[in-house]
Amino acid sequence: MLSMLQYVANGIVFSSIIILGAIGLSLVYAIGNFANFAHGDLMTVGAFGAIIGGSFLTGYVPGTEVSIVGIPLSFYLAVLVGMVVATVVALATERLVYRPMDATPIQLLIASIGVALAYRGAIQLRYGAESRTFDVGRGGPIPIIRETIGVSVTQRHLVIVSLTVVLVVSLHVLLQYTTLGRKMRATADNPTLARVSGIRTSEVITAMWIIGAALAAAGGAFLGLDTLVYPDMGFDVLLVLFAAVILGGIGSVYGAVAGGLAIGMAHELTPLIPRVGAEYGPAVAFIIMVAILLVRPSGIMGDRQ
Amino acid sequence: MTAGTDVGERADASGDHALVVEGVDSGYGDVQILHDLSMHLEAGEIVCLIGPNGAGKSTVLKTVFGLLTPWSGSVRLDGAEIAGTPPEDLVRRGVGYVPQIENVFSSLTVDENLRMGGVARESGLEARIEELYGQFSILEEKRGAKARTLSGGQRQVLAFARAMVMEPDVLLIDEPSAGLAPSIVEEVFENVEAVNELGTSIVMVEQNAREGLAISDRGYVLDQGTVRFEGSAEELLDDSEVADLYLGG
Ligand SMILES: Nc1ncnc2c1ncn2[C@@H]1O[C@H](COP(=O)(O)OP(=O)(O)O)[C@@H](O)[C@H]1O
Ligand SMILES: [Mg+2]
Repeated sequence: MLSMLQYVANGIVFSSIIILGAIGLSLVYAIGNFANFAHGDLMTVGAFGAIIGGSFLTGYVPGTEVSIVGIPLSFYLAVLVGMVVATVVALATERLVYRPMDATPIQLLIASIGVALAYRGAIQLRYGAESRTFDVGRGGPIPIIRETIGVSVTQRHLVIVSLTVVLVVSLHVLLQYTTLGRKMRATADNPTLARVSGIRTSEVITAMWIIGAALAAAGGAFLGLDTLVYPDMGFDVLLVLFAAVILGGIGSVYGAVAGGLAIGMAHELTPLIPRVGAEYGPAVAFIIMVAILLVRPSGIMGDRQ
Repeated sequence: MTAGTDVGERADASGDHALVVEGVDSGYGDVQILHDLSMHLEAGEIVCLIGPNGAGKSTVLKTVFGLLTPWSGSVRLDGAEIAGTPPEDLVRRGVGYVPQIENVFSSLTVDENLRMGGVARESGLEARIEELYGQFSILEEKRGAKARTLSGGQRQVLAFARAMVMEPDVLLIDEPSAGLAPSIVEEVFENVEAVNELGTSIVMVEQNAREGLAISDRGYVLDQGTVRFEGSAEELLDDSEVADLYLGG
């Protein structure tokens, strides 16, 4: 029997991954105005971009074996590669599919299901269906943490959680204290008034895709670092992402963070419930989502009545 | 039609109008709202658009400001065709617009609303915002408050100030007094007059037709998407037919 703290530690790691995915999903809803079913697969694109791109880096860039917090520099660079790949793919999709359609939110939602299948199919066609792992060495639990509080936390976990904190805080600073961030919030709040004020909203939408895709890629790479990289990995967490976004208040970035934390925790704490196994994690997460929505129909941070 | 003179003749009479709308048809989807509508604004004027609910007054402003593209006809700013030019470009050409509803960013603070009003300014944003705080002390007091927490009157002031950050040459303003207490209505009209005196030409839509006309140079009475009467503000106020039909007797 694992200790309660161990489940909490696992929950924080899984929540980090969900938060990174949920933010982009919420941004696309707030600014792009549709529920993007391809967002989970965009995480997969980022994870593959990282694992494939990263293996090139280790081959050709000297010095990438230097390790930071027990993880080789090549992994950090690989995450950056994954972010760039996912951003390029997301922007290309927006230009070639979503923008020319000039469609209603429901039509865009349906198109995004097709896009999701296309991403997944293309990855599987090129790289096969088998699972891969990031080549970052084995690295077991950190002894000092294990000895003091009896919780096994690996260096991978520390890296995932601390980079997530860095990314989320950076996004917060961008949204609150920069002109681009204010324009993003203004466009999400009232797109017509944004244009009336002189904001070029197509530029804001581009920025929104870049941020959403980059965070999704980081989430995908972290999910791959924690578990495995395979073509269905992003799709497998898509419903959990939606649960987090809806719970947090759809369209709210801060809601996505709160919802991601709540859903990620519920997912990992499930084995603590007597006679309920870890395999029911997603079910329990959804029950919690429904329960909270019954009390707060617009979600934790939602302001729509 | 005593006060009403030939619409087309007036609109064509001069090339140096600040704004000319000529023979415009416009609407939403395939529903036509404006029918062969013509009006103009001379530099320095306040022109008031009045008429019953649903007459198409707001649609005129949306069509001028590029939120709708006219189906036919012409919209000219200082003689240059602007029909269909998007709002974000018109802002940069010296036109401002205060919508009738949802005219503030409710989840942004007062200060952020003003900053958004000035995104197209090339310089002097901070100084301009301070100037507006000096002019509208209520905004200064509430600068850190979310716009959704403001009262109706405070919101109208913010919406107005947001458009004024750009110091537009032409301002389109839709029902600035809607839903406000009479004492505040007076204040709003004083603001409009003050801005006009500083050189901004104004097209104002007003439900409070008498009060609106009282501060205007000229007026147009719209009904069912077209101009029914036009004339100087005094002519319209004195016209018995206009008074009976549109000014509530
Ligand atoms: N977004 C819209 N879509 C469809 N019809 C609209 C829209 N806005 C206004 N209308 C219709 O256009 C007509 C004129 O509306 P509007 O210009 O708002 O009138 P006014 O401002 O004079 O009260 C009305 O019949 C109204 O129902
Ligand atoms: Mg109106």
